[in-house]
This record gives sequence, structure tokens and C-alpha cells, in this order.
Amino acid sequence: MSPTLAAALEGAAKIAFVWACVLGAVLPNLIWVERRMAGFIQDRPGPNRVGPFGLFQAVADILKLLLKEDVVPMYADRLLHTVAPLILLVPAMTTFAVIPFGSTIHLFGRDISLVIADVNIGILYVFALTSVGVYGLVLAGWSSNSKYALLGGLRSSAQVISYELAMGIAAISVFLAAGSLRLQRVVEYQASGTFLGFLPLWNCFPQAVGCLIFIVSAYAETNRVPFDLPEAEAELVAGYHTEYSAFRFGMFFMAEYLNLIAASAMMATLYFGGWSLPYLHLTGIFGSLASIAVFAAKTGFFIFLFVWVRWTLPRFRFDQLMNLGWKVFLPLSLLNLLWTGALVLWGVI
Amino acid sequence: MPAFSGQLVVFGFASFFALAFAVLMVVQRTPVRSVLSLVVTFFGLSVLAVLLAAPFIAALQIFVYAGAILVLFLFVIMLLNLKEEAADEDDRPVQRTLGLLVALALGGLLAGATLRAPAPPRGMPSLSSIPSPDEIPALGRLLFSDYLLAFEALSLLLLVAAVGALLLSKRKFE
Repeated sequence: MSPTLAAALEGAAKIAFVWACVLGAVLPNLIWVERRMAGFIQDRPGPNRVGPFGLFQAVADILKLLLKEDVVPMYADRLLHTVAPLILLVPAMTTFAVIPFGSTIHLFGRDISLVIADVNIGILYVFALTSVGVYGLVLAGWSSNSKYALLGGLRSSAQVISYELAMGIAAISVFLAAGSLRLQRVVEYQASGTFLGFLPLWNCFPQAVGCLIFIVSAYAETNRVPFDLPEAEAELVAGYHTEYSAFRFGMFFMAEYLNLIAASAMMATLYFGGWSLPYLHLTGIFGSLASIAVFAAKTGFFIFLFVWVRWTLPRFRFDQLMNLGWKVFLPLSLLNLLWTGALVLWGVI
Repeated sequence: MPAFSGQLVVFGFASFFALAFAVLMVVQRTPVRSVLSLVVTFFGLSVLAVLLAAPFIAALQIFVYAGAILVLFLFVIMLLNLKEEAADEDDRPVQRTLGLLVALALGGLLAGATLRAPAPPRGMPSLSSIPSPDEIPALGRLLFSDYLLAFEALSLLLLVAAVGALLLSKRKFE
């Protein structure tokens, strides 16, 4: 087999594996988990009739969305109204390409790095894609030709830009410590030693502030409670997707969940050691498989945190949101950058 | 390099989209659609940057221009609720002629400069020659050594613009 063909097959296999996991396993279960968790937190059973424990509820939900009538408002901009959910969905599906989901595995005489594309721009790729996703929200709002949708779109553009800054600066500190934008390198760095002699060298310890800023900003970037102002149902009906029905609405739904999964994976990768375990070195083929499990467990925890927060916290007011982003997070993230720079300069990390 | 390679096809597509949507941006009557055409143009340019083995520039092009600056453009257009431009009545014939002349002069200058430039090396750099992971540190080192003055001057310029914008918006409210 020629090396090019082998590389192509390897890439295709990794893409198939990641998409099978995300779209086939995580996404449907996430719908179920969210609805059952909501029920648990609000002291009611939640959906429990479709299948054992209501496990097939996701299938029922998706079928319902597929079979419903697709309504496009009369005065909507038809082209943009159709394209908007796609603009949101495509970046959400492609961010997984650079996230390392395991260590290097030795199979069929090849060393396979468990990341689809370990490009040297790493996280910049993720940021670039998420920043394109905003167009989906904005255009959905604008093309619907409805005041609620328009306001939702406006809010999302202001919100995403504001929090992207703090999030980006927090992420810069991570790369300052790791010395590379390559995400596989960031994980290897975190697995490489200890902080202060006993803690794992996970970025969440030396950069606790940056970690907090990144996590909270991720909630704002993915439009999740407490920052779901673009779709605040108490004021804006459903915000940017007010005028969407059936599977077009389903696409927004799917993009939101995909973004949530990607954001959780990023948190685990950047701040919590990715696929590595502290104090242990996973070697051999079973070590590689274990590293995938470790990564899945860490990502799963952050997904759970997203759901937990959603059903626990109330929504922010828009001015509070802007104040938090610009007046608290931005200066704090700069301070965190200085702090990390000092740590690197003095050789502490 | 073969005369008709995959890279050439990608180059053709990206350039075509960049140019076509640049024209669309000017011709379009709805401001929102103009902005969107510009976004597509930037994507085309970013693909060209990848072909030139500069993925960092490509990512910045998307992240900064398409992802931040143009979203702000959209934000302002939506905030002011700009609708379609009214059809031209050509009440400014002088400006129209002047604009046309300046555009022609600029185009002529660019064409002249391109024709006089020394011939580029044959073919495009191949994707396998993408620089090692040290591309970004090297860029950073250059910015903070050889180009320090230009870099700091630019950041000062941006700061002045930001302060100016704040000042103007404050004055309006008082």
C-alpha cells in the first residue's frame, strides 16, 4: 500500500470514528440526559415512556422534527433563511478535526496520532470556525424579517464578539505555557510533569483564573444559560430561531449541542490534561485505548456541567452580560496572561 | 509540477470566488448582502493563503476579518436597520465621473506594477513544503525585533481610533 493511500485511509478512519462517536453516541444521549436532568432538578420524572428509562426519547424527538411541516415566513429572505442554519451547523461539525482524542496508537505497523488533523495553528482553527458560526445566528435573525428574531441576532453578534476576546486571551496563556499552538503538544505538555512538585501540570492549576474565564466564556459563546440572551424566551419568544420550524429548527438544535460538545472537549484539552492521566503514563495499545476513555470521561464531565448549570442558574440581563465581558473578564484575562508570563519567565511551569 | 494539478484547480476556484464576490459586494443593493459577499471574498483569500503554505495567515484572515470585523459591520447595519438603497438618480454627475477616473487610474497603476514585476518562480509552493511548526514563533520574533517600530506604531494607531470612537459616542449622549 502506498504511503499516500495509507495516510488517506487513516484520515478517513479517524473522521469516521469521531463522527460516529459524536453524532451517533453523544448527541442523541445528550438530548435524553438534558431532558432527564431537567426533570430531576425540577423534581419531576422527565420523559420516561419511550423505551427503557425513556432512552429512545431522542429518536422520537428527532423523528418529530423531521416529519413536521417546514414553514418559511412570507416576507423572509428565502435564500439566507435557508442558508443560515447550514452556516451554523457546518463549523460546528468541523471543529472536532483538531481536537486530540487520544495518545498515539500503534496499529498495523503505523504510529497513528489520535487526532484528525494536528495542524500547527491548532486552536486558531477552532476560534476561526466558531467565529464564522455567528453568521448563522445573525443571518437567521435578519432573514426572518421579524423583530424578535432580529433582536436575537443582534444580541448574539454583540455577545459572541465580546466574549471571544476574553476567551482568546485566556487561551493565549495556555499556549504561552505549552510553547505551541498544536493541541496534541498542549496535552503532551500537561502530561509532562508536576506543578509545585505535587499537583499535575494541568493548566487549570497555574492558570485558575484563565480556566474560569475560558469556561464561563464558552457558555456565552455557545448561547447556553445563563447567557442564552439571543433566544431569551421571556423577552424574545425564541430569539433568532423564532421563525424556524421542523428540521430547520432541528439544525439549530443540533448545532447548539455540537458546539456544546466541542466546547467541553476544548475545556478538557486546554485546561484538564486532555487524554492524559496525572502521575501515570499510558503505554501500549491498551494505554492508547485507555487514553480515549479518559478523554471521553473528562469531556463527559464538562457536558454534564453544561446541563447542570442550565437547569440551575437564572438568565443574565444584557447589560450585566456586557459588563461582565468587557469590564471584568477582559482585564482579568490580561492579568492572567501577565501572571502566566511571569511563571514561564521564572521557570515555575 | 504538472501543468494541471489539484492545487491549480483549487487556486482557480478560490480566485474566481474571491473576485466574483468582490464584484457582487459592490453591485449588491442590500447592505447585508454586500457584507456577506465580502465574507465569501475573504474565504477565497484565506484559501489562497493556505495554497501559499501560510495557514497561520489563513486562520487570521478568517478569525479577525470574517469573524470579528465583518460581524461588527453586520451588527451596525442591522442596528441602523438599513434597507435597500434607493435606485440611483444620478444627481451627482461630477462625483460619478471623478470616481470612475480614480478607479481607472488605480486599476492602471496596479496592472502596470504587476506587468513590470519580475516573473515569479514557476509553479506554486507545494503543500508538503508547509514550514515546520516554528513558523509562528519565527513570526512573533520578527514582529518584536525587526518590525518592532511598525508594530508598536500600528497598535498606537488602533488605540487612538478606539479612544476617538469612545469620545465621539460619549459626546453624542451628553
